[in-house]
Amino acid sequence: MRRVAVIGVGVTKFGKHDRTSSELFAEAAADALADAEISASRVQALYYGNVVGSETEHQLHTGPQAASILGIPAIPTTRFETACASSHAAFRHAVMEVAAGVSDVVLVGGGERVLNVPTPESTEYFAYASDAVWEQTLGLTFPGVFALIARAHMQKHGTTEAQMAAVAVKNHKHGTLNPKAQFQKEITLEQVLKSAYVADPLKLFDCCPFTDGGAAVVLTSEEVARRSRRPVWVLASAAASDWMLLGDKRDLSRVPATERAAAAAYKQAGLTPTDVDVVELHDCFTIAEIVATEGLGLFEPGAGGLAAEKGMTSLGGAIPVNPSGGLKAKGHPIGATGAAQIAEIVTQLRGEAGPRQVDQARVGLTHTLGGNTATVLVSLFGRD
Amino acid sequence: MTEPVITLQRFFARAREGRLTGVRCGKCGALAIPPKELCPACYERAWEPVPLAGEGTIASYTVIRVAPRAYTADVPYAVAVVKLKEGVSLLGRIVEIPLDKLAVGLPVRFRPLVKGDQTAVAFGPA
Repeated sequence: MRRVAVIGVGVTKFGKHDRTSSELFAEAAADALADAEISASRVQALYYGNVVGSETEHQLHTGPQAASILGIPAIPTTRFETACASSHAAFRHAVMEVAAGVSDVVLVGGGERVLNVPTPESTEYFAYASDAVWEQTLGLTFPGVFALIARAHMQKHGTTEAQMAAVAVKNHKHGTLNPKAQFQKEITLEQVLKSAYVADPLKLFDCCPFTDGGAAVVLTSEEVARRSRRPVWVLASAAASDWMLLGDKRDLSRVPATERAAAAAYKQAGLTPTDVDVVELHDCFTIAEIVATEGLGLFEPGAGGLAAEKGMTSLGGAIPVNPSGGLKAKGHPIGATGAAQIAEIVTQLRGEAGPRQVDQARVGLTHTLGGNTATVLVSLFGRD
Repeated sequence: MTEPVITLQRFFARAREGRLTGVRCGKCGALAIPPKELCPACYERAWEPVPLAGEGTIASYTVIRVAPRAYTADVPYAVAVVKLKEGVSLLGRIVEIPLDKLAVGLPVRFRPLVKGDQTAVAFGPA
C-alpha cells in the first residue's frame, strides 16, 4: 500500500448559516484546494459526508450536488452516512483509494445544515440514528443515550457531574482561541452545573450545539505530496462498530468500538497511546470525551473524569484534547465533523494553530463517534 | 429458506399481550433479545423462542426533558436500560414509577407501552 498525505485543509466558520450544506462544503473544499496549492482539475474523486440532508433540506444525492456546486461535476462521488462519523468514514475510504493506487488526488469532506429547523425537529432527526423499532418509539434522544452512559460511568467509577462540567469549561476555553468556533466565550463550572437538565444527569452545557458548517481535506499519494509545502502523513485510519441497540451493549460505561478502532489504528501505525501529542476527539457530550480518553488508552478506564478535572487534557496539560474547542465549543455540523477534526490535527502538526498550538506536536489523533456509539473511526497523523 | 423463529412483528404482537420473548441458541445455548438471525456467540442459525419472566433491575436510566417533536407532550419521562434476570438487557420507557424514586438497581417488571398501533417496551414497578 502507498503512503498517503493530507496536503490541504479547509473549514467554514461554524454556527448558523443561510446557505445549503453543499454550499458550505464547497466553500471549505475550495479553501482546502487553495491551501494545498493544487488545481481542482487534479481531483479524481470526492468522498462526502452528509447526514440529515434528506430531513432538513429535502435533499438526497448530496455527493454529486456537492461536487457540482464546487464546480467539478465529472468526478466519481459517494456520500457516506455513519451518523456523526460520516466524513471520517469517508476519509478512511478515500485513504484506501489513494493507498491502493486507484487515485493520486482525492477530496474528502462534509457539509451539514440543521439550524434551519426548530430544536424539537432536529432532535427527532438526530434520534433517527438510534433504532426506529426499539429505541425511537421510547422517545429516546441523543442526550438520552449519553445520559445512560454517564449514569453507568458515575455508578461504576464515581465520576461526578463536576468532572463532566470541567470538560465543558476546558473546551469553551479552547474555543476562545479558535476564530472558526461557534462559541468563543469562556464559561464557568458553576454555569455548567446550574444549567437546566436536558437528560439527567446531562445538562444543557454538557451538550454540544446544533451547528451548520462544512469542512474538507485534500488527500494525495506520496509522490504528489512530496511536491507540496508541508504534507502531513496519514499513519493509520481504522473503523470499528458495536451493537446498535443500547440493550445489547454489555457495559454502558465503555465504548467498545472506540477501543477496537484505537487498537487497530495504533497497530497500523506501530504506535502506542503515549506517542500521541495532540487529540481531537468526539465530545458530543462531556461524558463522551471522558469515555473516549479512556477508550483511546490515554487514561485507564475510570480515570478520565479526574484527568479532565486536573487539567491534564487542557492546552499545556499532559495530553491536550480538543484544542479546537471540540464539538462542544467549535460546534458539531455532523456530516462535516470528522473532516473538521482532521483539519485541526493537520493544522496542529504543521505548527500553524496560532494561540491554540500544542508545543512540539509530532503525532496527532482524531476520533469520531457515530450515533449511539455503534460506529467509531480513529486516525493517526504524523509529520516529517 | 429458513423462516426466522421470531420476527419483530411477532415479538411485538406478543409483547402487546404482556409476554416478553427471547431466543435461545439450540447449538450453544446463548440467550438473545431482541431476536437475531444468527447466534452472535457461535454463528449458527438454530434459535428456539423462549419466554422471559420480564423481571429485572435498572442498570442505568435518564429523565428526558428535551424531547423529539412527537414526544414533547410526554416530558419529563424516563428511559432505562434494564438487566433482565435471565442475563440479557433491554431499553424501555419507565412507567408508573415516580421520577424521584428511580435508582440503579431498582427492581422493575416488563409491561407493554401501547400507543395506537405501536407497541414499545416499558417497565413499571416490580
